[in-house]
Parts: sequence; C-alpha cells; structure tokens
Amino acid sequence: MKLLNSLDELFKEIDIHQNKAISFHHHLRNGDLVINQVLEKYHSHHVQEIALFPSAIFPSYQMIKRLLEQDQIAHITTNYISGGVADYLSNQGKENILTMQTHGGRARAIIEGKSKIDIAFIAAPSVNYKGDAIGYKGPSKCGSLGYAIADSEYAKIVVLLTDHLVDEEFDRVEIHGSNVDYVVSLDKIGDPSGIVSGTTNITTNPIGVKIAKQTARFLEDIDVIKDGFSFQSGAGGISLKVTAELENYMKIKQITASFFSGGITGYHVGLLERGLVDKLYDVQCFDLTAIDSLSRNKNHIPISASKYANPADIDQVIKDLDVVILGATEIDLDFNVNVTTDSHGIIMGGSGGHSDTASEAKVSVIVSPLFKGRLPIIKKHVTTITTLGKHIDVLVTERGIAINPLRKDLLEKCKQSLLKIKTIEELYQEAINYTGIPKDVTRSDVQIGVIEDRTYDKIDRLYRK
Amino acid sequence: MARSYLFIPGNTPSMLQHANVFDSDAVIIDLEDSVSLQKKHEARRLVFEYLTKYYDSSIEIYIRINDPSTPFFEADVALLDGLPINGYVLPKATKDTVLLLSRMTKKPLIAIIESAYSVVTLEDIAKIESIKGLLLGAEDYTTDMNIERTIDGEELIYVRSRLAIYAKAYNKEAIDTPFTMKDDEEGLKKDILRAKALGLHSKSVIHPNHVTLVNQLMSPSESLVLWATRVLKKKAMTSKGAFSLDGKMVDEPIIKKAQKIIDEVKKYS
Amino acid sequence: MIKTGTLESSDCMIELRESNERKIEIESIVFEQFGDQIYDVLKTTLDEYHVKAVFLRCIDKGALDYTIKARLKAALELWGVDHG
Repeated sequence: MKLLNSLDELFKEIDIHQNKAISFHHHLRNGDLVINQVLEKYHSHHVQEIALFPSAIFPSYQMIKRLLEQDQIAHITTNYISGGVADYLSNQGKENILTMQTHGGRARAIIEGKSKIDIAFIAAPSVNYKGDAIGYKGPSKCGSLGYAIADSEYAKIVVLLTDHLVDEEFDRVEIHGSNVDYVVSLDKIGDPSGIVSGTTNITTNPIGVKIAKQTARFLEDIDVIKDGFSFQSGAGGISLKVTAELENYMKIKQITASFFSGGITGYHVGLLERGLVDKLYDVQCFDLTAIDSLSRNKNHIPISASKYANPADIDQVIKDLDVVILGATEIDLDFNVNVTTDSHGIIMGGSGGHSDTASEAKVSVIVSPLFKGRLPIIKKHVTTITTLGKHIDVLVTERGIAINPLRKDLLEKCKQSLLKIKTIEELYQEAINYTGIPKDVTRSDVQIGVIEDRTYDKIDRLYRK
Repeated sequence: MARSYLFIPGNTPSMLQHANVFDSDAVIIDLEDSVSLQKKHEARRLVFEYLTKYYDSSIEIYIRINDPSTPFFEADVALLDGLPINGYVLPKATKDTVLLLSRMTKKPLIAIIESAYSVVTLEDIAKIESIKGLLLGAEDYTTDMNIERTIDGEELIYVRSRLAIYAKAYNKEAIDTPFTMKDDEEGLKKDILRAKALGLHSKSVIHPNHVTLVNQLMSPSESLVLWATRVLKKKAMTSKGAFSLDGKMVDEPIIKKAQKIIDEVKKYS
Repeated sequence: MIKTGTLESSDCMIELRESNERKIEIESIVFEQFGDQIYDVLKTTLDEYHVKAVFLRCIDKGALDYTIKARLKAALELWGVDHG
C-alpha cells in the first residue's frame, strides 16, 4: 500500500491510458466529490474507450456527461441512473452503450470476472495507516460501504480516496488494507448535505396511509408476520408507513423480527433499539441516524452487496427474506415492474435491489397509488421490464389488492379476507375508468442498452427516445 | 346512519376524485368554508361534473352548500339538486333556513348547529321532517360564544349532550364536530370517546387519516357485541319475556338494545 | 380574460380571451399520453356551448376529463356564455 497526496501523483504511478475500466460506488450519493475529480483526469488526459462501472449515477456526477459528449466512454455498467446522464443517454446515447444491472448482479459479475475492472476508485470516509477503511466515521461519513466491497477485492488496482486519514484501529473493517494498492489523500471527498437525503419521513399523505394500512393488514391476513420473520422496506414514505403499521401489530402480538435488510433509516434503527428486531443488515445508510448507529449498535451490521443479494453467494442475506415492500413506476397485467424508465421512456432510475429482493423474498409486494396524476400505474405492457412478473406476488393500491395468479397459495389464504382482493385486470379497468387509456409513447429503434438480471439474462432493452 | 362523515374540499380535484377511497361511511363534499369566494362558481361546477361521472352508491354522499345569506345558496341548489346525492348539509342552520331549503328540495338535510341561537332553538330544527341529522360545528359555536376551544372539549359538554338528546328524541342522527389536530391520534381517540359517552354515535372528520379510528370506536365494542349475542341467544332459547343473564335481569328494552347492536355490527362488517 | 382552475397536481388552469376565431392551446405534463383526449374534451365542450370564436389556453397538471370539462364550463359561464 502506497500513500499519495494527489491524483496527479497516482497517475505518475500508473498509466491512465492502460487502465480505463474503472469503478466507483455511490454511497456519497449527490455529495460525492470523488467521481468528478477522477473523471476530470480521464477527460484532460483524453483517455478514449473508457469502460465505466459506477454502482449508481446521481445528478451531481456531471463529468460522466462531459465524457459522453466527448465520446470518451465506450460502455457504462451500472444499477441506477438519475439526472443529466440519464437524460443524455435516453436522448443521445450511442448504440449499446449501457448495461443496467442489479445490486446483487453487479457484485456477482465482478466476483465471477464478468465485469473486469482495472481500477476501483473508492471514496473512503475513514482510512487508517494499514489501508483499512470504514464508511461510518469521518467528515464525509456515509455509513455502510456495501457496494464497494466486491470492487475492493477483485479490481486489478484498488485506490482509496479519503479526507480522513487516521492513526487508529477500526472496529468492523469494511475494506481491508491487504486489498488496497494506493491511498490518495484529498482535501474533501464529500459534501455531507448531499450524502444523506435528509430525514426520511413516514408518509402522512392519506392515500399513502391507506395503501400502507392495507398492506399491513394483508401481511397479517396471510400470516407472515410472526415471531422471527424478516422484512425489507425501502426508505419511501409508504414503505416506512407499512413498517410503522407492522410495529403496532408486533407490539400487540409480542412479535419480534429476526432481521431487516437493505437500505437502513433512522426509523429502522429505532426498531432495533426498541428490541423489535434482532439484526439490521445494512448495505446502504439513508440518514445520519443510521450512519451513527453503526458505531454503537453491534447488531446493526454493514454487509457487502454480494452478501446482500448475490445469488451465487452462499451467505446471501435476502435468501431468508420473508417479505419485501417495493415501489413501481409501472406494473403490467403480467406483474412485470418498471422502475427504470419514466412514462415518457426516459431513464430515471434502475433496479438497485428491486429484482434481487423480489426474486428471493417469499412475498414481494408492490405498493403504489393506482394512478399518479393522470397516469395509471397499471399498463398492458410496461415500457421497460426491470423485474420479471414471476417474481412479483402482490400489488397493493388504495382501491384494492391484486395477487399474482401464480401465487395460488396466497389467493387461497385471502379467501376469508375482508380486504378488497381483485384481479389486476379489474384494477386496470378501474384505473383507466378514471384516467382514460394513455397513448403509447413513441421511441426510436436505436437500442442504447440492456437490462441484465442478476441471473445474467437480458430481460429487456433500452431505446433512445 | 353512518359512523363517519368525511369532509372533502369541493374545489380540489386531487381530493375529490379520491372521495370514495378513505373508508368513511359517508362523505360531505364541501362548497362552503374550504372554497374561497372567488372560486364558488367553479367549485360547484367541479362537484357537479365529478358526481355526474363518478357516482359511487356504496357510500353516502352529501354536499355542504353555502347558506341562504350568501349569493351562492340558490345557484348551489339549482345545479346540484338533480344529482342522486343522499342530501345536503346546511351550515349556520336555523329553523327558517332549514324550512327555506326544504321548500326547494326533497332531499334529506343535515343541519350544522354552530351558533348559540341554533342551540337554543334546537328542538324547532330537530322536529322538521326533512332533517336527517344534527351536526355540531364547534369552531363557529365557540367563536359565537366568545369562548376558547380546548383540546379536552369541556366547553362542549353541554352542546354535545343537548344535540344528542334532541336528536334522539326526534329519531335523528347526532353527528359530532371534527377533531382538528391532524397528527394527534391519542387526542382523537379521547375526543371520539367523549362524544360517544354523551350519546353522539357519528363523527364528522376533516382528516382522512382519522376515519379508521372513528369507524372503529363508533362501532359497538367487542365486549358489547359479545354481550348482545349472548342476550339474543338466551332469548331464542326461552319463551319468557324476561330472564336473567350473569345475575342481571334482561327484559324487553334490553333485548331491543341488544338487537340494535347486532344490526349495527351487520351493517358495518 | 377569464381564468379558472389552479396549477395544483390533478388540476388544470383554463384561460379564455377574445378572438376572431377558435384557437386552442394545450400545455400538459401528460401531453404525449393524453394530448388528443384533452383536445377532444375542450372541443366538445366548446361545441356544446356553441362557442365558435375564442382563444382558449389549457395548462394541465394531470387533470382527469371531468376536471378539464368543469374548469372550461365554469370559465364559459363566467364569460357569459349560456349552456345550449
């Protein structure tokens, strides 16, 4: 391990033109100051044919757009894109430039050598003299470094970039110094106001509340909320409200959960500290409370993306997941879900762990209003398939619940339920009775990329607008 | 008979088109306080077009129109009276305004009691045939009285009781005033139980998130249902007009009460 | 000029101005999916009120048909056009 003081020093050590398959993690989200600094070097050195492997792309990662405009990028492999890069790719992206993976699929592809990375550039909030790194301390702390672990173990060259070099041993090291080649000391790697998304709020919107209450009652009715159950919900307001509803139920029935996984918020930490759940498996912290909890709660455990969701990892946490609550931009009559493109066919997100958790959880539930503004959530065919319908079990809306006909067991369990169980066709009809039938949006025939599932199957294509 | 009457602002499409998703037994679409003076005309139009297209007969639908002292009253009734709604809610109701509205429509009316004068002349209003219910408007009432509205509602004990008694006497519904604190679930619970204890068996609601709790608490309690079931069971097994249960005498009025509870449960299950 | 409606989500704003001919302008967040349908509602409603010459602008924030129709009817009524 070699300690350096600037990126220029780094590129004196290694030939930038020979090392252009490069990866980044997105734990610093919109507050990341590393990715633009590094890519500026690739830009000024006129490096051509770059293969980019960021775990996700946020609006502030503007250098990616610059490189695209200069045609310096050959390919991007990522799990989620929002902001200017997404718009650029959808409107002007060149053919086959993009592969959209899942969190588990990305880790798997790196570990199995399918994604070959020359340099992993890892923003590391705290690094010690051995080159060990953690994410939950330092001026740019972000919590778990889960998405960077596979990169740190399998990239040809591993570079940590830090603004907090310390002389101490870490508890629960996330990135091991033995894997690290260079540590580059920078003034600042992150802007805290962009790293955390602010406080994550439980929804009080009446429609969101209704959906959350229906979801909680549905889960109670099918009898999955019992002692030792495991659960994942995102940081969305409705998902958190489902969790809050379940908390009441758990208290009444004296149930504790075995673990919650995925993105962790202060609300989840509260449940851990109130003794309602035994463990939090954390691949990504959403707020400061969650980040700080990693320093004090032994059972709040940072895990790698592989351990989280790689189907080939024998320790995969979500293999044991009972219930996952997920969102959707669109869902179709076959239960395929889109969270990758918006209703205009423009990229605005991506799988993240959507397909991973839906594939593994015993019950995967989509929560969404039946229509947003005038757009019905249910379509005959989704614009883009992010998660295959065979992995989606239930759709809960404010006007009723649809169960995937493949899940005869769930249909059977709901026979006595007082909830409004309908077919997805019925819900579709109900939606368009309000909205009318939306005209299909037009797109070109230029294929800019593919959606690659965690199985490596290409489950859909992305097109230029 | 409804446990919950949910107010929906009449000029807000995002709320209006979801009027039937919040599980209230009845909704009151509002053209009065939630609509500014400049928007009265378009709100009336919006409500008309909405109900023309999306009438949902599975819930009771009322419209709160503007009172006769306003220039909007007659136009409200003229446009809306053709709709198959369950009735009108009349704000600032007095005997005279109720009678005036009764001459213009055949629909049932819910009178909002929100002034000292209306409280004093309550019997005159309650006995009018077209009156279906009396709804307490505590904000305007306390303003009229120049007294403070408190979270505990001590100042409302008398009007709540009076409303419940007159409603009962003339076989009308007694509908409680809304609870205004959006996020205070404990306060809401106490408020519902206070009204219920005084004999108001319905409550109006201004926050959709309050509906579940109102429905739940305004329904007969589990122990009460169990008791009523046992009374009726025992009654079915005996030919006597009066018998004893748990050491207490059960006679005709008590059997009637039990039957009423079971009827209510059936309606809301 | 007459204005009805709002720019809140699920609503639309209708503007009417004097004009020698009928001119309809639509701005909508769902124009691609519902532009034609919005145009139809506006046109049918103008026809229903026998309005041949007007400049009509509709700024739509995802309103359903009933809302668009109601906002336009209210505007026409305020404009002084009687139904039928």
